[in-house]
Amino acid sequence: MKKAIDFLRSMRFGMILLVLVMLLGFAGSMIVQQREPMEYVRRYGEGAAKVILATGLDDVFSAPYFIAVLAALSVNLLLCSIVRFPKVRGAAGRLKKQAETCAMKENLTGGDAKKLGDFLKARGFKASEAQSRTVYIKHMAGFYGSFLTHLSFLLILAVGAAAVLTADVQDRIVMPGETIELDGGMRITVHSFAIEDETGRLDFTSDIEMTAPDGQTKRGEIRVNEPMTLSGCKVYQQTYGTAGAVRVSNLINGASEDMTLTEPCMLTLDGISGMFYNAVYPGYIEDEDGSITLITSSSGAYADPVYDVMSVAEGDMTAVLAFPGETLTIGDVSFTMLDPVSYPGLRIKETSRVLLGALYAVFVLMVAALYLCFFMAPVAVAVDETGYAVVSPKTQTGLMLDIAAVLETKPAEGGA
Amino acid sequence: MQILFFAVILAYFAAMMAQLVGAAMKKPAFVKAALGIFALAFAAHTVFTVWRGIAAARIPLANQFEFASGFAWSAAVLGLALYMKLKQDWVLTVSIPAAFLVASYAAFQPMEIRDLMPALRSTWFALHIGSATFSYAAFAIAGGLGVRYLMMLKKGADEKDTHMRQTDYMAYRLICLGFLLLTVVILSGAIWAEQAWSRWWSWDPKETWALITWIFYAIYLHQRMRMNWQGKRMAWFAVIAVVLVIFTFAGVNKLLPGLHSYAV
Ligand code: HEM
Repeated sequence: MKKAIDFLRSMRFGMILLVLVMLLGFAGSMIVQQREPMEYVRRYGEGAAKVILATGLDDVFSAPYFIAVLAALSVNLLLCSIVRFPKVRGAAGRLKKQAETCAMKENLTGGDAKKLGDFLKARGFKASEAQSRTVYIKHMAGFYGSFLTHLSFLLILAVGAAAVLTADVQDRIVMPGETIELDGGMRITVHSFAIEDETGRLDFTSDIEMTAPDGQTKRGEIRVNEPMTLSGCKVYQQTYGTAGAVRVSNLINGASEDMTLTEPCMLTLDGISGMFYNAVYPGYIEDEDGSITLITSSSGAYADPVYDVMSVAEGDMTAVLAFPGETLTIGDVSFTMLDPVSYPGLRIKETSRVLLGALYAVFVLMVAALYLCFFMAPVAVAVDETGYAVVSPKTQTGLMLDIAAVLETKPAEGGA
Repeated sequence: MQILFFAVILAYFAAMMAQLVGAAMKKPAFVKAALGIFALAFAAHTVFTVWRGIAAARIPLANQFEFASGFAWSAAVLGLALYMKLKQDWVLTVSIPAAFLVASYAAFQPMEIRDLMPALRSTWFALHIGSATFSYAAFAIAGGLGVRYLMMLKKGADEKDTHMRQTDYMAYRLICLGFLLLTVVILSGAIWAEQAWSRWWSWDPKETWALITWIFYAIYLHQRMRMNWQGKRMAWFAVIAVVLVIFTFAGVNKLLPGLHSYAV
């Protein structure tokens, strides 16, 4: 049992798990992910596709074995950190004791002790006298570096997983002028949406207003990189689309209504004749002979929109290409094509603010901890008239080389 | 102004040749000349970068050309800074070729100034990409030091020699710096991705490869720290790791297109 626990908290097991994450990451980046089975057959052949699908390599990062590796890594780090923490706490005191009692490793001649002492003080070492020697100490906080690094990695896994799993995410299409209400009572109004800014540059901006259940409101523009947050609810400008817009007029009673159409549909009063809306296209190319080729996609605003519709009258269906401003009269109803309407697809995400704050904090902790590890290694130098010794849990090649340069000698082996 | 960039590459090349000849023939005058040309090339590269930033009205790190140019410039900064600290010629032997090779790669990328795509218009852009250029530069020079270490070993150098230990130690220190910066790249990238796409992490190929590289270096650090590996084995590690860095930097963009664009 003890052997098993020792292995579970060992660095060897940690490294094996890290190698596994690397290998699975490699597989997940080389094999396309989350596609239909036929896509794998097409790309890799039937045999390979079977293996990929059977082993879950088509969705590595959600596969149970991948989650298990991450969970095992967390357990490994946790056990390793718990076991090491008491050692870390005692280490600072031990380093000083060691420097007070260790044998001098290198000889010093007259005047060198002072030269070395001055050099160390200039480097920010703190001096203390003990047992007829001076002990210079620096960077005691560095003892916590690797402990905090591992802790922060563990916390990133744990808090990150909690933040992702507890977030409530929904995607909504909202037409300009429309207001939606979320389950919790938050209301979101889209006042307008523009694909391009005033200079014609692609910008994808929605002017939105959020109203929290407690009455707080916030209005502003959202675009990629600039979501808007109110009361823990964050709204992203996620996607966009362009819908057809048609004015339907009843020629008998004079009533009319403007309709926005996002998908194919039949517009009819009597259920028999009317207009079938297929799509609106961004533009077209007209050949010399007058034939028209439709442009089917555009990343910007629709420059020359064309409506692809069908006139349905008494069982006859006729395909028609119509332009904004044109009117089709079918029976007693007229259909006037209007300028298409661009609309945003919003992503609405609600995350616990505590978790969010904690996640940012552990990010900062990890960077600070690595800085402690790499640039603040604890070190003590014992100096007396006869010699000196460098004591540190890490190799101190840099310091040893610098001391050698100051004393103009060959450098010694660094660290204890 | 593109002509200035080609002049910079030529100057890096001239510095590299002067350094190689100086080192091979033990002619200090050549090494001095190499240092002078390298410093001049770096100054011209700085002028080019600032000019491009002004012309584009943004930080010039937005496409593969600009990023590679920034990477080469960072290698020159680190090389010169290290040289000033250590006053050792071998720092130049490694950092000048690193700057030259990366700048040459940049020259093969489309150079025209383009508008910043919406997904890149973010306050995180400078931190995320700026730290990536320095991180990659630190790893590249560490890899170069690894190559030098292995070559010296082959020529019969003793692993206990001061300059061998210095080379080994500097590679380790550069890897520490690169690792810290790569951590900043990954974490700032996660925050940025959450702002832009609402997801911290998408296992997009670029993210995945940055993580693979990061883990590889983490393993390097552990082997060095706990297993006390030094010298030859660490040199091999640093060299192999550069292959991962290059793949993350250039290979992923060419071979594994992913999410790093604002898709509809
Ligand atoms: C990706 C995850 C990890 C990262 C980023 C990481 C990072 C680090 C760093 C930066 C150091 C200090 C190295 C130096 O100062 O040169 C270190 C040391 C160490 N790591 Fe990790 N580590 C990770 C995972 C692990 C795992 C899974 C274990 C297994 C238990 C582990 C065990 C250790 C140990 C025992 C030390 C030596 C600490 C000391 O003596 O102070 N690490 N790690």
